[in-house]
Amino acid sequence: MLGRGLKRKLSDYEENMAGLSSAFDSSRSLPYPLKRQLVLNMCLTKLQTYKMLVEPNLHRSVLIANTVRQIQEEMRQESNQQPVNICPGIAPGSHSYTGMESSGISLQLPSGVSQQESNCCDLRSVEDPIENSLLIVSDDDMSSAISSILKDLDFVEDISPPTCLVPPGDDQPKFPENTGLKLEDDRQDLKGAECVFGSFEISNSTSYLKDLAIDDIFEDIDTSMYDSDFCCPPLMPPRSPSLATEEPLKNFPSCNSSSASNIQICRTDLSELDHIMEILVGS
Amino acid sequence: FTGAGGGNDIQWCFSQVKGAVDDDVAEADIISTVEFNHSGELLATGDKGGRVVIFQQEQENKTQSHSRGEYNVYSTFQSHEPEFDYLKSLEIEEKINKIRWLPQKNAAQFLLSTNDKTIKLWKISERDKRPEGYNLKEEDGRYRDPTTVTTLRVPVFRPMDLMVEASPRRIFANAHTYHINSISINSDYETYLSADDLRINLWHLEITDRSFNIVDIKPANMEELTEVITAAEFHPNSCSTFVYSSSKGTIRLCDMRASALCDRHSKLFEEPEDPSNRSFFSEIISSISDVKFSHSGRYMMTRDYLSVKIWDLNMENRPVETYQVHEYLRSKLCSLYENDCIFDKFECCWNGLDRQVHIVMTGSYNNFFRMFDRNTKRDITLEASRENNKPRTVLKPRKVCASGKRKKDEISVDSLDFNKKILHTAWHPKENIIAVATTNNLYIFQDKMN
Repeated sequence: MLGRGLKRKLSDYEENMAGLSSAFDSSRSLPYPLKRQLVLNMCLTKLQTYKMLVEPNLHRSVLIANTVRQIQEEMRQESNQQPVNICPGIAPGSHSYTGMESSGISLQLPSGVSQQESNCCDLRSVEDPIENSLLIVSDDDMSSAISSILKDLDFVEDISPPTCLVPPGDDQPKFPENTGLKLEDDRQDLKGAECVFGSFEISNSTSYLKDLAIDDIFEDIDTSMYDSDFCCPPLMPPRSPSLATEEPLKNFPSCNSSSASNIQICRTDLSELDHIMEILVGS
Repeated sequence: FTGAGGGNDIQWCFSQVKGAVDDDVAEADIISTVEFNHSGELLATGDKGGRVVIFQQEQENKTQSHSRGEYNVYSTFQSHEPEFDYLKSLEIEEKINKIRWLPQKNAAQFLLSTNDKTIKLWKISERDKRPEGYNLKEEDGRYRDPTTVTTLRVPVFRPMDLMVEASPRRIFANAHTYHINSISINSDYETYLSADDLRINLWHLEITDRSFNIVDIKPANMEELTEVITAAEFHPNSCSTFVYSSSKGTIRLCDMRASALCDRHSKLFEEPEDPSNRSFFSEIISSISDVKFSHSGRYMMTRDYLSVKIWDLNMENRPVETYQVHEYLRSKLCSLYENDCIFDKFECCWNGLDRQVHIVMTGSYNNFFRMFDRNTKRDITLEASRENNKPRTVLKPRKVCASGKRKKDEISVDSLDFNKKILHTAWHPKENIIAVATTNNLYIFQDKMN
C-alpha cells in the first residue's frame, strides 16, 4: 500500500502560520509584499500537503493553484517594471538573508513606491523573525509547483511516484552553485537529487517532510522516462512565452529541443493511456 | 416575514432534533445531505458512513391542530460501502454526497443516492401483509414430500407489522473519473444528470451500462486547468435545459438540443468583480458551492462563500439580488484560508411552493442559519441548538457583532465556533417546515401555528 495517507503533525511552523494569518487579518500595517508572501507560502504549504493526501481534492487544488498563479503574475509584472534580480537561491534558515542584503530584493517591491521601499528595509530588520519563517520562492518554482500538482491529478495510471521530497541529509540545494543541470548527469543523481518541489525547504522546523524516505519504496521502479520532468521546468504553457526569454537568472536551462519533444510525446501517450484505461474500466 | 395568512411574520419554533447527544462526534455520523421528497411526507438524510436514514411524517392528527405531524424513522439502510480502486490504489469514500427523490408513481418510493463515484437508485417499499397458509413445508421449513400433499390450500394474505424495505434497483457506476458533486433529475422523470469536477453525464434511469457525456471541461493538458464544475441542475420545466456552476463564480446555461456535447453555453452568468473588495482570496470566495432553480424556473439562486445571489435567467451580466450571509468574515479570510474553512461548501434552498412567500435559506457557522425574505428584504439569523428545546417556543433571533461594542445577547465574531457549520438545509415543499443539519444532528423547525 502506498504510504500516501499521511497525517499532518502540528508543528511549530503550523502554529506560526496560524499566528501569522491572524496578523494578516487584523493588521493594517503589514506591508503588501509581506502579506503576499505570506499568502504564497500558505498556498505552497497546502499544495505540498495535498500531494501527500490519499486523494487530493481537485477543487481545492485548482483554487490554491490559481491563487499562486495570481501572485506569480503580479510578481512578474512588478519585475517587468523594475529590473530587479529574482532571488534564485533557496536555503533554509537565515542563510538567504546574509547574501541578500546588498541586492535588497527578498521582497518584490512595487516600482515607484520609494517610501515603501525604505519602510520595507526598516521593517525587514524588525520583522526578520517573521521573514525567516517565510520562504523565498522563485517564479519557476511556483510554475513547477502548480504543474506538479495538476499533473499528479491527471490520474494517469502509471504515473511516477513523487520522488520530489528530499530525504534527510540532502539539505543543500545545488542551484546557487551550478546554474545548469545537465539532463544526462542527473539521471544518475535522480534519487537523491533535488527536484523543483524539493527546493521548497519550507523551514527547518517541518521535520515531518524530511522524515519521509519515499524514494526507498520506489527503488526498483524505472522512472527514467518521467524523471526528466522534475529536473527541468515543464514545458512552458503557451500563455507565458515571454518567461523563457526574460529572466536574467534562471535556475534551470531550458530543455533542449529533443528532450522537450520527447516529453511532449510522453504526455500524448499518457493521455491516450488515460483514455484507454477509462474505456477498460468502463467495460 | 410576510406570511400567506395575512401579514404575520413566520415565527419559527423548535420541533424535533435527531441524532446523538454527545459532543464527541463519530465521523460516520456526520450528515452530508438532507432532502425532502416531493410530497414532504418523507425526509432523507445521508451521512459520511454511507447510510441513508429516511424519516416519515406522522399523519396529522385532526384533533390536534396546533402541531403538524412529527417525523419518525421510517427506514435506514447502507447505501454505499467504502471501495478500493485497485488501479489507482485509492480508497473511494462511502460518504453520500447527494440524495434526490423521484416523484411517486406507485406505492413504492424511489430515490437516487450518490457517493464520489457511483449513483444508485433505491426502491423503498412497504410490506404490511404476508401470505399465510401454505401447506408445502414442514414446521422446520423443509419441503414436504410432494406425495404427502393431498389438499390444495391457497394462501391468504394476513396483516403483519409494517416492514420497510430498501433495495437497490439500479447501479450507475464507472462513468466518473473525478468526484461527483451533483445529481439532478430531469423534468421528464426518465433521465438525470450527474456532475463531477470536470464532466457532466446524462443517464437514463433504466439504463446502467451507458451514459452520455454532455459537458467536458477537462483541458488536454491538466497543467492548464484553472476551473472546475462545482454544481449542476436541470431546469424544473424545460427538459433540455440545465445549468452548471464553476469555481470561478460563473454559471453556464446549456441547451442539449444545440449539440451532443454542450461545450458552448447558451448563456453565461457572471457578475463583474467589485474592485474595492479585491483580495488574494477573491477567486476562492467567488467559487459557487450550490445552484438551485426557483420553482417557476424563472430564477436561480447561487451560494458562494459570503453571499447568496438571485439571478434572473434573462439577465446574464449581474444578479438581481444579493444577500450577505456573513459579511463580517470578509476581514478574516486569511485565517479562514489557513484553517481550510474557506473551502466549506454551503448549500441554499428556496421556500416551499407558496406563491405569496419568497424566502431563501442558507447555513453559516456557530450552528447559525440565515433566511432572507425577498419581498420584505428582511433577514433573520437563527441557531440550531439543543438549548432551545421546547416545542412551540419561538426561536430567538441571533446577531453577530462585527466590530465595536458588543451589545447584550450579541456574539462577537471571534467567539464563533467554526467547527459548528450548517452546510445542509431543506425546506418542506408545501409547508413551513424546515430541516437543518448541524454536524451530526438533524433539527426540524416549523412555523408557529395559531
